[in-house]
Amino acid sequence: MSEPLLRATHLVKEFPVMGTGGLLRAPVRFRAVDDVSFEIRAGETLALVGESGSGKSTTARLAARLLDVTSGTVELDGEDVTALGRRELRRFRNEVQVVFQDPFSSLNPRHTVERIVTAPLVYQGRPVPGGARAFTRSLMERVGLDPDHSQKYPAQFSGGQAQRIGIARALAVSPRVVVCDEAVSALDVSVQAQVINLLRDLQREEGLTYLFIAHDLAVVRQIATRVAVMTQGQIVEEGERDAVFGAPQHEYTRKLLDAVPRIRPEWERQRRANAGRPAGAASGAQA
Amino acid sequence: MTTETPSEALLQVRDLTVTFATPRGPLDAVRSLDLDLEPGGALGIVGESGSGKSMTSLAIMGLQPRAARRTGSVRLRGQELVGMSEAELRRVRGDRVAMVFQDPLSSLNPYYTVGLQIEEAYRAHRPGVTRREAHKVAIAALERVHIRDAAVRVNHYPHQFSGGMRQRVMIAMALSTEPELLIADEPTTALDVTVQAQILDLLQEIRHETGTGLVLITHDLAVVSEITDHIVVMKDGVCVERGAVEQIFTSPQHPYTQALLDAVPRIDDEIGELRAVAPSATPTNGGPA
Repeated sequence: MSEPLLRATHLVKEFPVMGTGGLLRAPVRFRAVDDVSFEIRAGETLALVGESGSGKSTTARLAARLLDVTSGTVELDGEDVTALGRRELRRFRNEVQVVFQDPFSSLNPRHTVERIVTAPLVYQGRPVPGGARAFTRSLMERVGLDPDHSQKYPAQFSGGQAQRIGIARALAVSPRVVVCDEAVSALDVSVQAQVINLLRDLQREEGLTYLFIAHDLAVVRQIATRVAVMTQGQIVEEGERDAVFGAPQHEYTRKLLDAVPRIRPEWERQRRANAGRPAGAASGAQA
Repeated sequence: MTTETPSEALLQVRDLTVTFATPRGPLDAVRSLDLDLEPGGALGIVGESGSGKSMTSLAIMGLQPRAARRTGSVRLRGQELVGMSEAELRRVRGDRVAMVFQDPLSSLNPYYTVGLQIEEAYRAHRPGVTRREAHKVAIAALERVHIRDAAVRVNHYPHQFSGGMRQRVMIAMALSTEPELLIADEPTTALDVTVQAQILDLLQEIRHETGTGLVLITHDLAVVSEITDHIVVMKDGVCVERGAVEQIFTSPQHPYTQALLDAVPRIDDEIGELRAVAPSATPTNGGPA
């Protein structure tokens, strides 16, 4: 086994609880992330799944150094990045980028696509390779957007296209790790499928490593290499995707999997038979 | 004003059209939509954002935005709702037809206990009822949706309930007047998956026990497949396909329905390339499908 690219060890994040603690009392602290450890190898996708309040998004923010840990360490390629200063953090941001859930609130509405996707380079004082226009065009092509639209504004795009802009911006600095925080959750199912396919293609072609935060287990099944199930700030089960989905060990994982609404398998088989083709790359396509 | 024949449809919508005037001319958010629901039945309206499914649920009750024009016919057990006065409509809403929305927190008043809100909703439709009687109804309503210690919880405020519990409160409120029809617009979309499963079970149970008809509006195909018996698939304000649930899921006829079904990520399925719906490559029918 190769060394993990990203490693989190005993991560803890506490937040003060509002309104508690008087003048002389110590404030009550809420432990959102409670001793979380994981590793991601290069080219893999680790999915952190859980319900609201499980601590999955906070964990992602700690790993991306958008939040400071209370205790624990984050290592990138063996280097402890937990305590990086401002200047060193810039270097870290070249390696680890984030794609957020709501593309419209995470893209500046007053900036053109070109300005948005070149911003990460500009902030870092780095030259834009080949000039902003050409650079933007090539990025837009990579994420499946029409490069002729580089001077348009976010509001002129649909939700799925806007999320592609968010992905393009993340890719601008050629990161090795992309943290996807519910990156496809807000999208319509048809658009969601396109963006999942895009993320998979980019991983295959460029060897990207993903930390994929999601509450939707069906989406996770489509993209994860490994899955970690979180609840109440802790990882209760972690393993290869098919192991976790096929033979969940923890009671909470089973409860979560059982709760997912499903189209009846016999209807699915019947539909595939009626359509006269195997569905997806499924094996059992007979009616 | 009375119902003509006892065996008629609970809900019959014909040629429902909701039109907005825009600078570029009239825009139909819903166009020529027909819906049919038998008493005790469950109809799913499925579509993606912009399909007109939520506007449909509002327009059924005459709750479309003021800027919109609604035409067509909406009959509740034969009684025409289009053209009814606001006062008459108010008697139908909440009494014979109740609605549950996606976000229970924004539908509840944070300053009043849930009990008081259920009581007020109930008394608005039952003028002669005393406070004490309404309080009993509120407790019974909370028990009905399996909220434990209902007699205590009835005096709690919305923020003292979790998201799933708040949605139970909304359903309790909706059911307190024993409506004939419940319209639920994305009732579980904001909820965690384990809570969603509980709420869907609850809706099923209520249907089977009280015979309340259900119109469920959702983007989630798996959800409609589990709890409805007929489905209408909407796209761009138009019904592109309708049928019994099994028929839609086993032999979808319209390319859009097929594409939508192909795009749903499967939790039990081996993965291949997800079949994305080609953008704007889906023809829509002019008239009712």
